[in-house]
Amino acid sequence: MADRSATAGIEKAGDDRMIVADDVVKSFGHFQALKGVSMALNKAETVVIVGPSGSGKSTFIRTINRLERHDAGRIFVDGIELTDDIRNIAQIRSEIGMVFQSFNLFPHLTVLQNIGLAPRNVRRWPKKKAEEKVMQLLERVGIPEQAHKYPAELSGGQQQRVAIARALAMEPKIMLFDEPTSALDPEMIKEVLDVIEELAESGMTMIVVSHEIGFARHVADRVMLFDDGLLIEEAPPNRFFDDPQHERTKRFLSQIL
Amino acid sequence: MSGAGPKGPRLGLGLSEDVDLLRFEQQAREAEAAPGPAPATPGEWIRQNLFSGPVNALLTLASGTFVLFVAYQILSFVFVSAQWEVVQVGMRGYMIGGFPVDEAWRVWASAYLVIVLAGLSYGVSARRLRPSAGQAAVGAVIVAVAGAIVFFTAQTALVRALTAGVAPAVFAGALVGRLLGRKILKPLVVAWVLVFPAIMIVVRGFDGVPPSEWEGFFFNIIAATVGIVASFPLGLLLALGRRSELPAVRVASVGFIELFRGVPLVAWLIFSKFVVDLVLPPQMVIPDIVKAFVAMTFFSAAYVGEIVRGGLQGVPAGQYEAARALGLSTTRMMALIVLPQALRSTIPAMISHFISLFKDTSLFVAIEVTDLLAAARRSASSLQYFGRDMETLLFAGLIFWAVAFSMSRWSQRLEVRLGVGRR
Repeated sequence: MADRSATAGIEKAGDDRMIVADDVVKSFGHFQALKGVSMALNKAETVVIVGPSGSGKSTFIRTINRLERHDAGRIFVDGIELTDDIRNIAQIRSEIGMVFQSFNLFPHLTVLQNIGLAPRNVRRWPKKKAEEKVMQLLERVGIPEQAHKYPAELSGGQQQRVAIARALAMEPKIMLFDEPTSALDPEMIKEVLDVIEELAESGMTMIVVSHEIGFARHVADRVMLFDDGLLIEEAPPNRFFDDPQHERTKRFLSQIL
Repeated sequence: MSGAGPKGPRLGLGLSEDVDLLRFEQQAREAEAAPGPAPATPGEWIRQNLFSGPVNALLTLASGTFVLFVAYQILSFVFVSAQWEVVQVGMRGYMIGGFPVDEAWRVWASAYLVIVLAGLSYGVSARRLRPSAGQAAVGAVIVAVAGAIVFFTAQTALVRALTAGVAPAVFAGALVGRLLGRKILKPLVVAWVLVFPAIMIVVRGFDGVPPSEWEGFFFNIIAATVGIVASFPLGLLLALGRRSELPAVRVASVGFIELFRGVPLVAWLIFSKFVVDLVLPPQMVIPDIVKAFVAMTFFSAAYVGEIVRGGLQGVPAGQYEAARALGLSTTRMMALIVLPQALRSTIPAMISHFISLFKDTSLFVAIEVTDLLAAARRSASSLQYFGRDMETLLFAGLIFWAVAFSMSRWSQRLEVRLGVGRR
């Protein structure tokens, strides 16, 4: 499990690791959500994190783009350490796209504006360039005809695909998915997973928190089990699902399979 | 229509249930929109709605009698026993009070500036928001009443012509606005921003009229505008300050709000006149009216701050997170994501507050400003028209009501346009 040498040599050029977490700790009041998580994620790799609710998996990916500030340990994103410096945080956030369980689209803006907002205001792209990018992304997620609608006019699956396009609009190097299909009706899950899978195949570096076992088996390079604030086991999907090493993993799998 | 309504995706638990909820609300809206089975005849309608049972019939008879009685009393006063001469004679006093008559053109020019702009704006927005037959009827009644008042009260041909010209000016503006459409949206916004400074120049500039001589309804309008325009941004800052991470800013905002909200406006107006001078060096002289405007602005800002704070609380945490995750700075996050949603949901409360602020400009009578209400009361205490308070108060009330009602209608159009409660 914990790779103690995770951060060694991270500052060196040519390192292939996009995310390195070393003994990351996070508490909310008296509740310790993360009790020392270490992991590394290579470029173009897709990791699926599973685990019971309250196991710290969401908290962990939220510390990677500073939606939660970690209390101890170190996090490196593309060779840059995450510190309290605002400029540093802004830079790291612009390299990471995030997709939320509840979509969090901006309800007062159209689909076009939702996706184009960050490129226009953070990357300072001219309007035309941003709109071209938006349409290209909407094609990619399969809903170009919805560009001028408001989020409330779309189905859940369509909303989540817009949210993915919005995250991609910043041309991030890393994508984080926090239970992207948990809020969806069953018949809409596939259309969202298909988009995520296509993204994984295109070489995006991704962490996906998900309970979709079929998806994890199919798309993940590695699967991780979080429990009680700790990374319990990590392995390629075949070994993880068919031959888990830890008692805790076996128990978890028996509950959800 | 549901008050809060679906704000797109919600935070939290059963999101699939939320989707069902969205669907449910949509069905509810459709049901609301569709008229029920129409009753065959008017007689049928009356039986179904007014006399469906013995209790209902009794209530209908009782309330109907009461309404008829009150209506008869009011109408017989308005059309039979009232002597409207007092209003006719006092009209100039109601509108501009002691404003020098030779300078009255400045008020007319200002009024026409606003009227034409309002017409243009209406024309631009009417392209997308057609008034319904009911709205048109209400508008027609108001225009007819206003026209009748003008006809019976104007004392000179010039005043009669200028007042009668209001309707064509609005109409022409609306027509032009409708033809040009959204092309002139940006210039219009700029014009609305500049119109108040422009009016100040028209009224005060070129040997104009100092604020101490602004009276009558003109004063009510100016004071309300100053109060609304100045207290809105200040209230916004107070609301943001109350949520600041810096304790000093937070405490200062809370202190400001509690202090100014906790004392009656009348008291602040009087304080501003008599108490401020105690703390200022004697050579520093600020006109009373300016001090009072500042007091009113602070008072109103405290309320605006609390209204905006309520709106901010309605913006889900996920909106902040999504904005941050995209790399938006705090300023952009507030300006582009949080405040537009927060302010949209506060429109009803905000307009209510501004309507009440507009009416509260009558309280300036406490520092001897003769506003519309004071002028109305004064004209009924003259020797010649002593005791004609009913007429003068009814008229003043009608004017206040007309403006407040217009503000309310405007805010409803704004809500429709911004999709409040729908998305």
